[in-house]
Amino acid sequence: MTTVRTPETPPIPEIFRTEVVKRNLDRFRRSVDVLLDRDPPVVGATPKDVIYAKGTMRLYRYRPVTDEVYRIPIVLVMSLISKPYILDLSPGQSLVEYLLREGFDVFMVDWGVPRPEDSRLGLEYYALEALPRSIEEVQRVTGEKEVSILGYCLGGLFALMYNGIVQDAPVANIVCAATPVDFDGMGLFKRWSDRRWFDVDRLVDSLGNIPPDLILRSFELLRPAQRWATYARLTDNLWNDLWVKNYRLFNRWVNDQIPFPGEAYRQMIKELMWENKLMKGELDLSGRRVDLAAIACPVLHVMAEHDDIAPIDATRPLTSLVGSEDKEDVILKGGHVSLVAGRNAWFRLWPKISEWLGARSV
Amino acid sequence: MPDSDDRPDVGQLWRTWLTETERQWNTFFNDVMGTDSFGRFLGGYMDIYSTFQRLVAQNMERSLSTLNVPSRSDIVELSERLSGVEERLGAIESSIDALAEAVGHPSEPAAVTQLRPRRTRRPRAQAAEAQ
Repeated sequence: MTTVRTPETPPIPEIFRTEVVKRNLDRFRRSVDVLLDRDPPVVGATPKDVIYAKGTMRLYRYRPVTDEVYRIPIVLVMSLISKPYILDLSPGQSLVEYLLREGFDVFMVDWGVPRPEDSRLGLEYYALEALPRSIEEVQRVTGEKEVSILGYCLGGLFALMYNGIVQDAPVANIVCAATPVDFDGMGLFKRWSDRRWFDVDRLVDSLGNIPPDLILRSFELLRPAQRWATYARLTDNLWNDLWVKNYRLFNRWVNDQIPFPGEAYRQMIKELMWENKLMKGELDLSGRRVDLAAIACPVLHVMAEHDDIAPIDATRPLTSLVGSEDKEDVILKGGHVSLVAGRNAWFRLWPKISEWLGARSV
Repeated sequence: MPDSDDRPDVGQLWRTWLTETERQWNTFFNDVMGTDSFGRFLGGYMDIYSTFQRLVAQNMERSLSTLNVPSRSDIVELSERLSGVEERLGAIESSIDALAEAVGHPSEPAAVTQLRPRRTRRPRAQAAEAQ
């Protein structure tokens, strides 16, 4: 006859030390942190000084961390639809911090949060007034004649418009990240803003600036199931400190939308979405033609393969439109945001930008 | 123990299912939202939204005016004037700086003037070659 031994129940403190219990306690603690937004992760923490301000626009200079920097400074130009801290997300996960460590003198044009009176600002203001004025300030502060521009999304578009109009612009290099140029490739955005059913004049005349909530909802509509899938993934990964930190960082930025200046929005819809004038070489700003073929400086263009906001069909033709001899396309996996701030960015994009710009910044 | 276990990893199966389900739903909704009828619906919704916002703004303006309280447009106007003053102040400041620099007394803020790193850096490969 065999004797059956009942396993001994471990003492209570031992139970709490088991992996499963520890993991679930961690999950509970982190879920409370996320729900209450307790100890939110720090964003945009790299030390900087405001060197020029006009309206809501601020031009920052990040404090160099090396004794010796490349001769040509970099000006980061942000999109109009979101806040610029995606490029300086968190210590250790910041493009700005990376570029400073690589020995660049880094500046950033932050358009700020448009006020109601800014609804009259058109694309001309951003591309032909604010951006050139910021570049003048960078020239004054650094004593250098030329700058490199790194534009993200619409920021890249402003860089192209400026250089396409001002042929002797003091720009040595242009890096565009996720910059749409062929608006026929804008997918669902193009469809939704079709002139047959979208009355942009009525919208802008009624609202002035386009509310951030409207912009956020339109982005969410591109991937309707994403929000719920992300919640499910968050629950699955609540035990993982790094995952939760990254979720909170990106979630904060995605939801931290700003209004879109009304007049610029009207132009974007009419001139670019409806007429696709930039692609056809027919876009005029302040009566001056944007001639992308006249851009002769080196151009690096970075695109994301699964970008919903600036689909690859809209971004791909960029280098074929500019007249530069020294131009390069880089296509990375990932989406609009992970292109500049995700894992792909840390290991592939940032080193590529540093290497490409470094060779052209001496 | 789990290394030698042949049972399927339920967690991994669930994650794969989640990714696939998300992809399928997104594709389905994108197909629906890419139709003309959805575009028309969205356009109609935006028209109603714009009209509603305009009516609310007009009524609010009228009510505030009746109560003799500054309305949104009054505040926007004030803000525009303040921006004008700010810009003029900025222009005056720049002129003073330019004058000060011309007479040999530059008046830049300390934080900016102190940042004068040598602008002689070269890419690693070039620097190694030079050595």
